[in-house]
Amino acid sequence: MIKLLFFGRLGDFAGDVAPQIEATEGLTPALVRESLAADYPALAAELSQPQVLVSLDQRIARWDQVISDGAELAFLPPVTGG
Amino acid sequence: MPLNDSQFMRYSRHLLMDDIAESGQQKLLDAHVLIVGMGGLGCPVSLYLAAAGVGQLSLCDGDTVDRSNLQRQILYTEDDCDKAKVVCAQARLNALNADTKIHLYNEQLSSQVLANSYDLVVDCTDNLTARQQLNHHCVSHKIPLVSGSALGWEGQLMAFDFAANEHLCLNCIIDKDSAEPIMNCGNSGVVGPVLGAVGSLQATTVIRILLGYFNQHGQIQRYDGKNGQWLGLLAEANQHCVICGTQ
Repeated sequence: MIKLLFFGRLGDFAGDVAPQIEATEGLTPALVRESLAADYPALAAELSQPQVLVSLDQRIARWDQVISDGAELAFLPPVTGG
Repeated sequence: MPLNDSQFMRYSRHLLMDDIAESGQQKLLDAHVLIVGMGGLGCPVSLYLAAAGVGQLSLCDGDTVDRSNLQRQILYTEDDCDKAKVVCAQARLNALNADTKIHLYNEQLSSQVLANSYDLVVDCTDNLTARQQLNHHCVSHKIPLVSGSALGWEGQLMAFDFAANEHLCLNCIIDKDSAEPIMNCGNSGVVGPVLGAVGSLQATTVIRILLGYFNQHGQIQRYDGKNGQWLGLLAEANQHCVICGTQ
């Protein structure tokens, strides 16, 4: 299983998204985002914003990085103001 | 130069700490820090660094104080509206600590601002172009960079000690060609104390670096003020990074 974390305001869009998803071969953060689009279009749109970061087990990851079974996948919205 | 009697009194709470003491205070007094952006982050950063006795602060911002700034930019008062931010900031910081020499750049970030020599740069800007310019300069000149940002209830800190590390920079994490997100503080708002939390963390990180206690190059700290959550993240160098990469 893969644990999902939607940090900050992304949590407001995530609503009742399951906190864990099945680990499948070759799954990437980009594919997870794609799989959310049908049922959670607003969340998927937020995840498609520029500068959204993803992390796997608290390490910044690439969108095309393969996710290992048991990992925590976190999505972090952009924070740009000063 | 040894501390004088006034400085012994002023910095006594540092001097009581074995891991700061007189030698650490002297390092702060000898330091020159550039703060770019004197908005919601630059205000707390400059206040804490001046109070801590950082010897020289260069402040860069070309904006004037707007009434809408007063909700979060804690250096300024109603009387400061329409005046240059850096000029108002200088008056407040000098009133706080006359020992800290303040240099002003009443202009947006430019190569002229970066032409001077700094021990550390603090990024308190609000756009990726300026952040990337600072990142590039700091990588090239091996200057530590402490970058902060905030939006809504959320804040972020990224810190890089380029004096000790050649690889892993801001561009490895956020590509310089990324578009700006739609949401910003101007159209989506920001909670003032969130900026204070990030600014305080930036100032603490500056002091850690100046005292030689920083060993978390490239670490990211995220804060969600609405849900009371912190998240620490590690990043890795991108060997293909056009700023610091090896390939």
